[in-house]
Amino acid sequence: MKAIAIDVLLGVSVLIMLLSVLGMWRMRDPYQRMHYISPPAALTPLLISIAILIQNGLKPEFFKAVITTLILIGMNTVVTHAAARAFRIAETKNWHPAPGEEVPIHSSDELVKPEAES
Amino acid sequence: MNVWEVASEVAIFALVPLTWIAIHGEVRQRLVAFFMAGVLITNLLMLLTMAFNRTPMMDLALTLALMSFGGGVVFARFLARYLQ
Repeated sequence: MKAIAIDVLLGVSVLIMLLSVLGMWRMRDPYQRMHYISPPAALTPLLISIAILIQNGLKPEFFKAVITTLILIGMNTVVTHAAARAFRIAETKNWHPAPGEEVPIHSSDELVKPEAES
Repeated sequence: MNVWEVASEVAIFALVPLTWIAIHGEVRQRLVAFFMAGVLITNLLMLLTMAFNRTPMMDLALTLALMSFGGGVVFARFLARYLQ
C-alpha cells in the first residue's frame, strides 16, 4: 500500500512538472509563461515531501524537504511579482497603470500601450 | 532501479523545452525559463536524494532554493534598471 501511494505521488509530481513546462513552452509572452511556474513550485515539492514522509517517516530528510517546499512557495510569489514588475518597468518606465489604460482580457481585445511618463 | 530514480530520469526531460527557450527566446523569456529551471532542478535534487539514499544531498536542494530566490530577484532588478 505504501509503495502504491509513493508511486502515485511521484507520478503526479513528475506529471505536474512536465505539463507545466509544456504549458510554458506553448504560451506567447512572458506574463503568460510566468503562471506556469506556480504548480511545480507549490504542488510538486509538497507531493515529494509527502512521499518522503510515507517512505522514511519523520526523519531529517523529511524536515529538510518541508523547509525546501516552504522556501519554494515563498520564493515563487516574490520572484514572480518582482519579474512581472521588472518587465512592466522595462516596457513602460513605470509599473503603475497609465490613465485610461485597459487590460486586455480576451484574445480579440486590442492591447492599449500606455504612453511612457517623462 | 527504484521509483525515485525513474521519476528523476523522466523529470530531467522537463529541462529540454526550458533550454530551448533559454537559447531562442528574448531576454524576458529567458529570465522566466531561468526561474522555472531553478524550481525544477530543486525538485530534481529532492528526488535524486531519495533515489541514491544520501540524506545530506537534501541540503543541496535547500541551498539551490535559497540561491535561486536571490538570483531571481537580482536578475529582475537588473532587467528593470538596465535593460529598458
